[in-house]
Amino acid sequence: MSRLIDTGLKKLSSLLLKMGDLTEKTILLSFDCSTKGLDQFDKVRVYSETLISSSEEIEEKATELLARYQPVASDLRTIRSYMKIAYDLARCGRYAWDISFIYRRFNISYDECALPWLPLKDMMNEVERIIHTCIDAIRKRDLGLVEKIGEIERKIDKMYIESLNKLVEQPPIKTKCVVADLLFVRHLERIADHATYIAESLEYLITGQRINL
Amino acid sequence: MEGDMMSFKVQVESLNAWFRDRQVLKKINMQINEKAVTAIIGPSGCGKTTFIRCVNRMHELVPGARVSGKIFLDGEDIYAKGTDAVKIRRKIGMVFQKPNPFPTMSVYDNVAAGLKLNGVKDRKRLDGVVKESLKSAELWDEVKNDFDKSGASLSGGQQQRLCIARALAVEPELILMDEPCSALDPSATARIERLMRNLSKDYTVVVVTHNMQQAARVSDYTGFLYLGQLIEFAQTRAIFENPRNKLTENYITGRFG
Repeated sequence: MSRLIDTGLKKLSSLLLKMGDLTEKTILLSFDCSTKGLDQFDKVRVYSETLISSSEEIEEKATELLARYQPVASDLRTIRSYMKIAYDLARCGRYAWDISFIYRRFNISYDECALPWLPLKDMMNEVERIIHTCIDAIRKRDLGLVEKIGEIERKIDKMYIESLNKLVEQPPIKTKCVVADLLFVRHLERIADHATYIAESLEYLITGQRINL
Repeated sequence: MEGDMMSFKVQVESLNAWFRDRQVLKKINMQINEKAVTAIIGPSGCGKTTFIRCVNRMHELVPGARVSGKIFLDGEDIYAKGTDAVKIRRKIGMVFQKPNPFPTMSVYDNVAAGLKLNGVKDRKRLDGVVKESLKSAELWDEVKNDFDKSGASLSGGQQQRLCIARALAVEPELILMDEPCSALDPSATARIERLMRNLSKDYTVVVVTHNMQQAARVSDYTGFLYLGQLIEFAQTRAIFENPRNKLTENYITGRFG
């Protein structure tokens, strides 16, 4: 039996999935901007702003559903989780925007700063993977993927610590590069954190259990 | 075992109820906490009203009705042989769906009726109890200058609060409410709901309601009945945020009922 609230929930779900796809796209484009010097910063900014306004739209619609239908149980958990996931996706987009012009800001290039002993490329690959897994998990509501996200995040965390140590032990010659690399790995690590929060929200949505990945 | 029993105001064990050969309650086990509001929810015909009518031994008044199992009120089995049903009912206040003040009595006499029936004649004591009961029922300020007017002349919400005051006057051990707001407007409903919360500071309240949001707002514990069975009983937050049983989930989210 279709309920009045179902139309609203469906709309929220579709908005969230759109946000997920755009987040992935934004992050990938930001990597190209920072590592290949691709001149698409404005596009990344527009994407990031779209993600923020979509997050606000989801919050608005979710509040309306709360006010109109007083949802409970899985409906309530869905709305709470969607609001939180939307915020986390918007944050990922915001970090992607920062990443996009990180080297350009200091008039340096990724190639001259990304020293071979820094795991930047691997971190980007893992961030790409964690975001993709996240979007997949949202789409499929798959608890197996939630666990996988936790695993990838731990890997990224390890690389982040490794990067910090290496930047202290064998820093690039230019101070600008140290700062840019540091911000770069920091933003990547934050994106992974938000991906983990998304996974935790999904666990709550599906099972009602609060977890800490 | 007795120690466990005493920590609950009401303990229901294997309660079954029938109307002739139709079984309407099936092996209900429930523990009702003291000084808390417990909501009983479920679709029409699931046995909610029968359940609370068993708790104050009113079910047996219906021709052809019978009950098996045990209900302990403060550790005393109210269905034990030799227990006086009238005495039990005196300990339990009941508020019905439709406000039912005694229509020919004044506001004062409506509240004092139970005490008078129990033989209390002392005017000073009656005055004190009537005043306190009306205050507890949040009706005092509206009727204090008009005690003599008929209870039936009050608004629906006021009549329901008058009935609550009447129940409180005899200092009940337990207050049962059967859909107490279903005939009231939103404003009167809000007052009764606030009253239920306030009453739970001193009394144990069990409320039957069709209104999910009302159960979520007013109760500390919620029991979901379906086809005469207690499907789930838990803290209200758990029931409305993360019910364990699929039937509960489907009912409270409006997928059936």
